[in-house]
Amino acid sequence: MDQTILQVSDLLAIINQTLEYAYPSVTVEGEVASFKVSKGKFVFFDLKDDSGVVNCFMMIYGLRQPLEDGMRVQVVAQPRLTNWGKFSLTVREVRSVGEGSIKRAFELLLAKLQKEGMFDKQRKRHLPVMPERVGLITSIESAGYADFVKILNQRWGGVEVVVADVQVQGSVAAQQMINAISYFNQMAEPPEVLVFLRGGGSAEDLAIFNDEYLTRAVASSRVPTLAGVGHETDTTLVDLVVDVRAATPSNAAQILVPDKTQLAREIQQKQKRLADQVQSSINQIRIVVNQVAQKMVKEMESALAQHYQRVQQVELLLRQLDPKVALNRGYSLVRTKRGKIVKSVGDVEVGESLKIEVSQATITAGVIDVTKK
Amino acid sequence: MSQKSNSSLKQQLAALDEILDWFDQPDIDLDEALKKFDEGVRLADEAKHKIVQLENKITILKQKFDQPQ
Repeated sequence: MDQTILQVSDLLAIINQTLEYAYPSVTVEGEVASFKVSKGKFVFFDLKDDSGVVNCFMMIYGLRQPLEDGMRVQVVAQPRLTNWGKFSLTVREVRSVGEGSIKRAFELLLAKLQKEGMFDKQRKRHLPVMPERVGLITSIESAGYADFVKILNQRWGGVEVVVADVQVQGSVAAQQMINAISYFNQMAEPPEVLVFLRGGGSAEDLAIFNDEYLTRAVASSRVPTLAGVGHETDTTLVDLVVDVRAATPSNAAQILVPDKTQLAREIQQKQKRLADQVQSSINQIRIVVNQVAQKMVKEMESALAQHYQRVQQVELLLRQLDPKVALNRGYSLVRTKRGKIVKSVGDVEVGESLKIEVSQATITAGVIDVTKK
Repeated sequence: MSQKSNSSLKQQLAALDEILDWFDQPDIDLDEALKKFDEGVRLADEAKHKIVQLENKITILKQKFDQPQ
């Protein structure tokens, strides 16, 4: 039987074809060794366990978390032979496994992004008060989503919630969320706030919220961001980079909208304050009016008293001038018979009768003589 | 309820606060105060009524986010 003679490159191509057919994708777990990045683009490392080692290669943009020697990871890869006949895994995805590795990856990325100032306080924006349009990035199957909607509806109304239903765990989750952030930011009328929700889970479950690209996408969102991821004790990079962090999805709803019962109470109090203010204004005006009225009464009383005193003085004067007073004192009033008061010698003639008025009587007398003084 | 209701609610609450601030000034004209009071009471009543009436509207987007948008 004739044996087909293959060229080297044909052999490599056949083997690669066979490998691709048999193992289009493998997930391999092991410990990272000899990690290095070449020319800022190509990532090389070995994956090993107690008795074996395999070379791995990937492009830097596919690496979404920090790697260092000693880390335990799972890689999703395709096995192939290189043109140099070397067996290698072409890696599409890397994720840390085990608490230690996840924590280490988190710490490395945290330090890197912190250095860039991504978590600085001055970057944080305020969330809108009583938002009318909210973008939600979550899985509608998640308990976190149900909790959020329940509390939202209990507390408030009038909000239009637009939900981007994405996966919140697994290999595609981070990219789906990045795409959703981009979608909301590019809307003709973007929401006033973007909310990220996910219920609690294991460190592995929450690991996608430590994805470097997702963290960067959240940081660059023009729309202010709020996260309610996991439980209060879990801190992810997305928690650190959002403008406001809620402890849980329910807490995110509490932060996002006011409580209508509480607000109704506040409005009631304001209404009462308003009534008090008006009453107080009326009271103040009443005091002023009373003061003016009292002053007017006092001034009138004083003027009346002055007039009364003057009248009394005039009355006294008039009394003193009353001829009757003189008559009482013994003076007489002498009149001619025509009634003219006698004031000089010319007023009387001898023989003429005169009327003499004294205090209690009138005497008729005759003129016997007139002697000029 | 439309989102406009929420917006007008915000305006009503802001107007109510403005009226309360107006009363803090020293010399108040009583006629004006009574007008402001009536307006404040009306705003408060409407706002209280509105917040119990408002409902949220939830829309779940149909598109998938596997591809960059």
